[in-house]
Amino acid sequence: MFLHQLDLTTALRPSLLPEETLLFVQDAVGLYEGKFKIPQYQNGQAYLTSHRACYVDHSEPRRNSVAIHLKDVERHDFYAGFLKSSPKITLYPKPLKQLSSSTPDRSGSPAPAPAPAPSVSATWVCPICSFSNPVPSNFDPAAANVRTPLPPCLACGIKPPLIHVVKAAIAAISNRQPPELPPKYDETSVSAPSKSGTNPNSLVCPRCTFQNHPSLTTCEMCGGALPSPVSKRLEAAQEIGRAESPGPSLSTPLKDMAIESIKFSFRCGGEKIFYERLKNALVQRKWLLQSAPPIPKPRPASGTPDDGFSTPTDATAQDPARNKVVGIAGLERRGLEQRKNNEVMIGSSFEDLEALMTSAKEIIALAEQFASQANLGTNGNSEASALASQSASALGLVTTKDMLGSGSESLYVSELSRNLAEWLTDDTRGILKKEGGIMTLVDLWAVFNRARGGVELVSPADFEKAARMWDKLKLPVRLRQFKSGLLVVQGRDRTDEKTIASLLVWLEMLHTEAPAPDTQWDWEQYGRGVTAQEAAEWFGWSVGVATEELEMAEESGALCREQGLDGVRFWENWLVRLPVETSAT
Amino acid sequence: MTSISSLPASSAPSTTTTTTTTAQDTYIFSPIYSFPPFFTLQPNPITRSSQLQSWSAHIQSYCRAHRLFSISLIDALPTPLFTNATLSRALSLRDAKAVVHWMSTKDGGNRAEWTGRKGDVEAAETEGGRAWIYWRRPEEWAQVIEDWVDRTGQRGTVLTLYEVTESDATRREEFWGMEGELLQRCLGVCVKKGKAQIFGGEGSEGVKFF
Repeated sequence: MFLHQLDLTTALRPSLLPEETLLFVQDAVGLYEGKFKIPQYQNGQAYLTSHRACYVDHSEPRRNSVAIHLKDVERHDFYAGFLKSSPKITLYPKPLKQLSSSTPDRSGSPAPAPAPAPSVSATWVCPICSFSNPVPSNFDPAAANVRTPLPPCLACGIKPPLIHVVKAAIAAISNRQPPELPPKYDETSVSAPSKSGTNPNSLVCPRCTFQNHPSLTTCEMCGGALPSPVSKRLEAAQEIGRAESPGPSLSTPLKDMAIESIKFSFRCGGEKIFYERLKNALVQRKWLLQSAPPIPKPRPASGTPDDGFSTPTDATAQDPARNKVVGIAGLERRGLEQRKNNEVMIGSSFEDLEALMTSAKEIIALAEQFASQANLGTNGNSEASALASQSASALGLVTTKDMLGSGSESLYVSELSRNLAEWLTDDTRGILKKEGGIMTLVDLWAVFNRARGGVELVSPADFEKAARMWDKLKLPVRLRQFKSGLLVVQGRDRTDEKTIASLLVWLEMLHTEAPAPDTQWDWEQYGRGVTAQEAAEWFGWSVGVATEELEMAEESGALCREQGLDGVRFWENWLVRLPVETSAT
Repeated sequence: MTSISSLPASSAPSTTTTTTTTAQDTYIFSPIYSFPPFFTLQPNPITRSSQLQSWSAHIQSYCRAHRLFSISLIDALPTPLFTNATLSRALSLRDAKAVVHWMSTKDGGNRAEWTGRKGDVEAAETEGGRAWIYWRRPEEWAQVIEDWVDRTGQRGTVLTLYEVTESDATRREEFWGMEGELLQRCLGVCVKKGKAQIFGGEGSEGVKFF
C-alpha cells in the first residue's frame, strides 16, 4: 500500500507525527498515477515533511488527500517539463516484501529483488565516530560502485568509504542465516559506551524484565528470547506507519496494489526546491532516528546520576553517599552537582553541531528549565508568557518563508494563515480559551512570535494578511474589527449574539447581590453597572476587548452606559425596557 | 422653590409656598429616575431617543406637579428635577441643554421653548437660559381657559389677566399662577381663532371671551 490516508488538522493541513517536521509546501500541484492523471487530485497543495510527501486537495481536502511515506519510496525521478508539460517528480514505491521475489521486472529499478532484505538488519559503523548507521535500504553490495550515493553518518555527518559499507552489507547478508543473532551488535554496544557499570542499552527481557547484556540473544534468567535492538528499531518504524487513523479507505483505483509510480506535477513551479528537499529527506531518513540509541549520558566522576536516567543499581550505590549530607549543605551540594551536570551537558553538546543535533532534546529540556527558573523571580508570568516559554514544543509546526516554493507571497500567507488557525485551535495549548475566547490581533502576534522562539518571526503586515485570509480559507477562527478599528481574533462559533447573551446573564446574576451596603438605587430591579475592568476579569478578556464588547452590546441596545467620575459603567438597558410614562394631558 | 424662580416673587402669597412644598414632598418620581444611567446621555441613537422621551416625560410631570411654567436651566440644575440627591447623580448642564433642546424640536413634540426675543433665543439656548416647559402647549392652554370661561359662565364678561391667573377664583385651575407672558400667548391663540379679544394697555389688560 503506497498511498495512505492522510489525517488533516482543523486548518486542513496534514497533522504531523511526533518528530516529524514540515520541510516544504507548494500549491497548484496535481497527481499522476503512472502516466495518467488521477481524477479529483489535480489541484492541491503538496506538503513535504521529513517523513512523508502529502497531497491535500484544494476543493475537497477532507476527501481527497493522500500521503506517501518516504520510507516506502524506492526511487525518485525528476522531469523538468517541456512546453506545456509541467515539471514532475516521480516517486516509485518499494516492491512489497511478500512480493519481493515476484517483481524482478520492475522497470528501471536498479535494485534486485532481495535488496530490501539486508536493509532491515545491516548496519555500518562509522570509522570516525563509531556510530552504527543503517545501511540504505536500496544499497546492493553487488551493484554498488563509486557513483552509488552513500548517506553520511547520522551522528558525525562524514560520508563513509564505499568499501566499508559494502563489507557491512555483505556481513549482514551472511549473518542472516542465524536470524536470532543480531548482526553487528557489538559495534552498537561499542557506540554507546558507558562509564558506569550499567549499560543504558541493556536489553530488558520481555518475560521477566531482567536487564541482560545487549549481546545476548536469550535471557540469562528465564531463557526467553530477547528482542534484538534492530528489530526494536523496526518496531518503532512500523509504529510510525501505523499511527495513521483507520479512516475510510479511498474509493478510487488508487488503492490498487499495482501502483507503478506516483507523479507530482508542479503547475506553478517550486519543483526544484521540492526535489532538492525530497532528496535530502530521503538521505537523512529521520524516521529511523526515532529509534536511534540515545547519546551516552556524560557522568562526572563524582557520580551524580540525573534522576531520570539513573538505573536502579546506580541509585542504590549512590544513595548512602548522598544521604550523608543533609540540610543546607546537602541542598548546596545538590545544586552544585546539578550545575556541574548542566555544564558537562552544554559543553559536550556544543562541541560540534552534529552532536548538538542529536542531543537537541536534552538541550531543549535544559533551556526550558533555565527559562522557567528565570521566570520564577519575576511575578509577571501570565498565562501568555508561560505559553511562550513552551516555545520549543511549538517549533514543530511552523511555516517559514523558505519552506515555500515559487516565491509566491500568497502561498506563504495562506500557509501562515492555516498555521495560525491550527495553533489557535490546538486544544492542548488552548490559547483562545485562556484569553476568554477572544484576543486582540496584536497580542496574538506577540504570543505567536514568542512561541516561534525568536526564529523566523512573522512581520506584522504578513500576520495581518494571514489573519484576513481565515474567512477565505473557511478556517475555524475569524478576525473581527471593532468600531474603533481594534482587530481581534475569535472562534468562528462565537457571535455577537452569544456575547451579548453571556453579558446579560452575568448582569442578571448581579441582581441578587447587593453592590454595596449603602446602595441607593433599587439594585434588585436594576442590578448594577459594570466597568470594562470587571468584565475583563469576569470573562478573562483583555480590558481593550472587554471595552469593545461592552460597547458592541451598547450599540445593539442591550446595554446602556453611565458616565461617572470613576469612568464608564455599563448597565442593562432599562432606559428602553421601562415604558416611557407619557404625561396625561 | 425660589431658585427655580417660576413664580414672580413679589406676587407669590405665602399660601402658595405651602402648597408647592407639599406637592414637592408627595411628588412621586418615575421609576427611571432612580436608574443611575438615566443621568448620562446615551450615545446609542435608539437608547438615546428612548431616554430623551423619558426625560421629557419626567420634566413635564415634575413641572406640572410643581406648577412650573418655565425653568432656568442654571438655576434648576441643583434641584431634584435634574439632580437625584439619593443616588448622587445629576444631569450635566450640557446634557440638560440637550434634553430641553430636544424637547423644543418636533421630535420632542415641541414641549419646550427657549424664552426671549428672537435674537436672545440662541443666546438662551447656548447659555442654558430660560425655557418654557409646555406640559400643555399654548393651544391646549387656550382650550383649557376657554373651557373654564364656559364652565363658569363668564362669556361676554371682561376679565383682567390678574383675575385669570392670580385670583382666588382660579386657585383650583391648572393655569393658576401662570406667568403673564405665557398667558398673553395663550390668549393670543384664542384671539387668532376669533374667540376672544384683548383690551387695555400695558399692565392692565383685560380679556373678553365670546
